[in-house]
Amino acid sequence: MSSKPKAQDYQASEAEKTQASVAKAEKDYFNQTYAPLLREMRDTASQEDLGGVARGVAGADTMQSLTGQGPSLAGTKSVDQAADLASAAVGQMAAASAQGLAASRQQQTGVLGTARGQAGEAMSGLAQASRIQNTKDLQAAKAKQQVREAQTAAAVNVGTTLFAQGAQNLGSGSSFFGGKTEVKDSTNKDKNIERTNTLADRFSIGTYG
Amino acid sequence: MALADYSNALMPDTRGFSTSSLQNVDDPEKAFADITRQDYESYIQDYRSFEESLIDKAKNDTSLIDRAPEDAAKQSEIAQGVQDRNISRYGGAGLSVAQRQQQQVANQRQGQLGLAAGLNTSRTAQRDINQSTLADLINIGQGVNRSSLSSMGTASQNAAAKASAYKNAKASHTSQMIGMGSSLAATAIMAFAI
Repeated sequence: MSSKPKAQDYQASEAEKTQASVAKAEKDYFNQTYAPLLREMRDTASQEDLGGVARGVAGADTMQSLTGQGPSLAGTKSVDQAADLASAAVGQMAAASAQGLAASRQQQTGVLGTARGQAGEAMSGLAQASRIQNTKDLQAAKAKQQVREAQTAAAVNVGTTLFAQGAQNLGSGSSFFGGKTEVKDSTNKDKNIERTNTLADRFSIGTYG
Repeated sequence: MALADYSNALMPDTRGFSTSSLQNVDDPEKAFADITRQDYESYIQDYRSFEESLIDKAKNDTSLIDRAPEDAAKQSEIAQGVQDRNISRYGGAGLSVAQRQQQQVANQRQGQLGLAAGLNTSRTAQRDINQSTLADLINIGQGVNRSSLSSMGTASQNAAAKASAYKNAKASHTSQMIGMGSSLAATAIMAFAI
């Protein structure tokens, strides 16, 4: 006949006790080391103003793009430059606020997910907040400014060339626009006679001087 | 330098560690129950209100929309300031009164358009972010639901197994007692040669 069951035979084995000790130690370590970090992340995610960071970056980008070259007379005289600047800045600010808020929310759900034992989001919210896409308003304002600057440069270029050519024409005895040339005659008979230059004459003067 | 020397130099505190220094756990089941209880209490204390506030934000947040009018006014003011300073820098920039008026009109028009555009953009973005946050929260909730159902399933299976084992043990005990009683009776019959 078998003997009466003994209580110690039904207790946890040495291996199970060791496994439980190690697991308990790991759990305590987690509670002491990682749990406070997660609580800190919770507070950071709740309080950190990522929108403010993103808006700062957006404001700097806008001003750098649209006013970074310094003021220009053409821009100052323009009717809509200030309006374009404001329009681009409003668009950038809206995009930056949205980006910052999205990053904040992602960070917060990441913390909660980790606390609830779900997958956490490893991406830093701050990094995400700084990556603001240029809005179409900023691009449009910049393009418009570039066109305005190019137009001014072209006008200055044409004006300078015209003046230089006019001066050269006057110097060579022709009219400012090179339409007429004084006829040179060694006998001085036809001294004050002028003749109208043909296209061939103009080409010849322009090419060979 | 040998590896052991590196270990000694870098981890002097943990070099002589032994698992024998760990706290004894004689009753793993009780320890597990304690940890489970503690974890849940920590979650309630540290994260429940955070979670509820996040759910509320995902449903009701309008911070982007609220900020749009303020932004439009502020940026319009900044642009106006830039323009005024530039005009002053160029000594009036040769602008006629009519041109100056047109600039003012353009700025005012932009202010209104900027407000409308900012509000529209913010509304769309706000909705998008709120929806996305809610989706993330639901995802987390579903995960929690799954793991809680799984834990409940395990607990229920264990309880059912124990109940079944108890029933079996009871039935076995009863049949054993009946068997013992009947064999005692048989012995008595034989002994007294009834």
